[in-house]
Amino acid sequence: MGEILTGAQILCRELAAAGIDTIFGYPGGAIMPFYHALPEFPGLRHILVRHEQAAAHAADGYARATGRLGVCVATSGPGATNLVTGLATAHMDSSPVLALTGQVSRPMIGRDAFQETDVIGLTLPITKYSKLVPDITQLAASVREAIAIALEGRPGPVVLDVPKDVQNQKLAYEPPPAAPLRASGRVQLGSLEQQVQEAARLIAEASRPLLMIGHGVILSKAYDDVRALAEKTGIPVITTLLGISAFPESHPLHLGMPGMHGEVHVNRAIQHADLIVGIGLRFDDRVTGNTAAFAPRAKIIHVELDRAEIGKNVKPAVGIVGDARTVTRLLTDEVRARNCDEWMAEIRGFVRPRAEAFSGDLSPEAILASIYEITGGHCTIVTDVGQHQMWVAKHYPYERANTHITSGGLGTMGFAVPAAMGVHLARPDEPVWAISGDGGFQMNMAEIATMVQEGLSVKMAIFNNGYLGMVRQWQQFFHEKRYSCTPIWSPDYVKLADAYGIPGWRVEQRTQLDDVVRAASVHRGPALVEFVIAQEANVFPMIPPGGSLSEPIEAAPAGAPAV
Amino acid sequence: MSASHAVAVLLDDDLVTFNRVVGVVRRRNLPISDVSVGPSQMAGVSRLTFFTEADEAAAERLVRQLEKTFGVRAAAIYAADDAVVREVALVKVRALPAARADLLTVVSQSGGTLVVEHNGVCIVEVAGDATRTAACIKALERFGILEVARSGAVTLRSPSTTPAPHSAEVTL
Repeated sequence: MGEILTGAQILCRELAAAGIDTIFGYPGGAIMPFYHALPEFPGLRHILVRHEQAAAHAADGYARATGRLGVCVATSGPGATNLVTGLATAHMDSSPVLALTGQVSRPMIGRDAFQETDVIGLTLPITKYSKLVPDITQLAASVREAIAIALEGRPGPVVLDVPKDVQNQKLAYEPPPAAPLRASGRVQLGSLEQQVQEAARLIAEASRPLLMIGHGVILSKAYDDVRALAEKTGIPVITTLLGISAFPESHPLHLGMPGMHGEVHVNRAIQHADLIVGIGLRFDDRVTGNTAAFAPRAKIIHVELDRAEIGKNVKPAVGIVGDARTVTRLLTDEVRARNCDEWMAEIRGFVRPRAEAFSGDLSPEAILASIYEITGGHCTIVTDVGQHQMWVAKHYPYERANTHITSGGLGTMGFAVPAAMGVHLARPDEPVWAISGDGGFQMNMAEIATMVQEGLSVKMAIFNNGYLGMVRQWQQFFHEKRYSCTPIWSPDYVKLADAYGIPGWRVEQRTQLDDVVRAASVHRGPALVEFVIAQEANVFPMIPPGGSLSEPIEAAPAGAPAV
Repeated sequence: MSASHAVAVLLDDDLVTFNRVVGVVRRRNLPISDVSVGPSQMAGVSRLTFFTEADEAAAERLVRQLEKTFGVRAAAIYAADDAVVREVALVKVRALPAARADLLTVVSQSGGTLVVEHNGVCIVEVAGDATRTAACIKALERFGILEVARSGAVTLRSPSTTPAPHSAEVTL
C-alpha cells in the first residue's frame, strides 16, 4: 500500500515529479486544498501574481524561454476566466502551459454554485486538451497525461479542472503506470525519404529560392541545422515574427521579416522567388497578405510538425510532416551544395532606404540600439503588441537564439510585463527587458507589485506616444484620420515606480538615453523607463490588410502630418 | 441529398470529446446537415457523421483539424454521391378507429412498421434512405402526426468508390 495522500498532495507530488520548479498563481476558495499542501513541497516555487491573466502569460513566458512546461494555478469561476486570454495566447503560439484550476465540489457542480463556471466549456477551443478530474483515483494519471499532451508534438496549453472535494479526497498513492500517449493524429504524406528527395530536387532546380523560418525552428531548437542548410545552399533566410532570433541577423544570408510590416526588399524577394522553403511556420495572413497574390512565381516546400497546417493557407508543391530539426537535417544531407550569389545580388537591388523617418531625436531605433549596446546584446527582449513590437522586430539586431519573445498569433496587449516575469525566472542570470507601449503597459502594470514581492529583476521600457499607436496608424491610413478613442492618458510613470519602491526614469532627449539605460541595467531588481517618443510615429512600410505584398505603403497619406 | 460532402469521424465515446469535435466544426461556421452520432465497430468509440455544403478545400481543412483533436481516432471526407445513407424515423400518429384500416395500408405500402398502439395513438417506424422516410412521413400526415423523431443520416462510404487522395478510410 502506498502512502495516504490527499488529492492536493498528489497534485503537488506529480508536478514536482515532472520537474516543475515554478508555479504562477492566485489562491481562492476552490483551490485552497492545493495551496494548503503547497508548503510541503519547497521545490515548487510559487509566484503570487496580481491577476490570473498574468499567471498564464508568465507561465507562457517561462515555457517559451525554457522549452519546458509553464504552470499556472487559479481558483474556480473568476480565477479560471481570468486565465482565458493567457491560454488563448499560448494556444496560438504553440506554447506548453498547464493551467490547474480549482472547481466547486462535485455535489455542487451544475447548480450555479458560488464561483462555479464551466471551465472546460470555456477553454475547449483554446486548449490542446482539457479535463475535469472526476475522482482522486484518476488524478495522478490525468496530470501525467495532460503534461505529456502539452509537450508532445506541436506544444500547446492544457487545463486540468479539479473539484475541491477531489483535492480533499484521500488515497493510498501509487505512481501510475506509464500509459501510452494518445498522440494527436500524425499522418505522413507519403514516404519521408521521397518527400525530402523531391524537396532537394526543387532546391537544386530553383534559381531564386528563399528559406522562410518560423517558431517551429525555435521550438525544435533547429538553429544550427537551419544555418547549415542555408550555408550549404546559399539560400537567403527570412524570419517570421515568431522566427526572429532563430537565425543570427548579422549573417550575410539573413534578409529580415516578411509580411505586413516586412521590409520592402524582403517582400519583393518573396514576390520574385521561384521557390520558398517554409520551415516550422503556418503562412499566416500577416505573413502572406492576400494569399492569391502571395509569391506568385514560387513553388512552396512546407516543413511543419502539424499536418493540419500544410495546405491550410498556401498550397505546397511538397509538404513534409515532421519537426523542423529532423527534417532540416535530412534535407541538408540530401541537397547539393550550391550558391545563390546572383539572386542575392538581385535582392540587394530591392533594398530601399528605410521608410521610417522619426521626428525628434529620441527614435525607437535609437532606444533599441542603446539597449543592445549597453547589454552587449546579452539579454532577452519581451515585447507587447503594437507599433513598438514591429519596431523591435525590425530594428533590434538579434544574434542569440530564442531571445525574442512576443505574442504573435493572438496579438495580446498586456503580454510583455507578465511574460517577462516568467522569462526572468527561466533565465535568472540574463537581463530581461519588457518593452511595451503606453496602452499595453497599463493593462498589466499591477504586476510591478509581483516583481517587487518576489524579487523579479525585469526591466520595463514604455514607448509612450500618448496613443494606441497601431490603431491610430490604421485610423490615419484607412479611417480618414479620425482618431476615435485612441488618445490615451498615462500616469506619471516615475511617480508610479516610486510608489512601488523601484527606480523609474523618464527619457525625453537622446542625450539622456545611454545613461538611463545603463542605470536601469545595472540596478539589481525591477526598474522602469518611460521613453517619450513622437506622437504620430508610424511603422513603415505597411501592406494594407488583405493587400498584396507587392503594394506596400511607404509614406503617410497626403495631408497627414509629417512625422 | 443536396449536401456535397459527407464527413465521418471516429471519436472517443465521451461527452467532452464530442463537445470538442462539435466545437471544431461550429467555429468554422460551415453549413452542415444530418448530424448523427452512435456506436461504431469498436467498443468505446463513437461514429459521428454529417453532411456539409462547404467547398472541398474548406471541408479538407476541417478534416485536418478534426484529425488532430484529442479523442479523435480518425476523420474522413467523401463525396455525398459516394455515400450509402440510411436513417430511421419514428412517427407518432393518430390512429382513430375509423381510419385504422387505411392507416395500416399506408404503413405497409410505405415500408413502415407499426411498433406500438394505445388509446388511438400509434408509433410507426420506417427505415431506409431519405426519400423513403420522407415519403412515409408525408403519407402519414393526413392521419395527424403528433411527433417525429429521425435519427439523422448514418453513412458509410460505398465500397465501389475509390478514396480521394489524402482522405484516409475511417477505420482503425
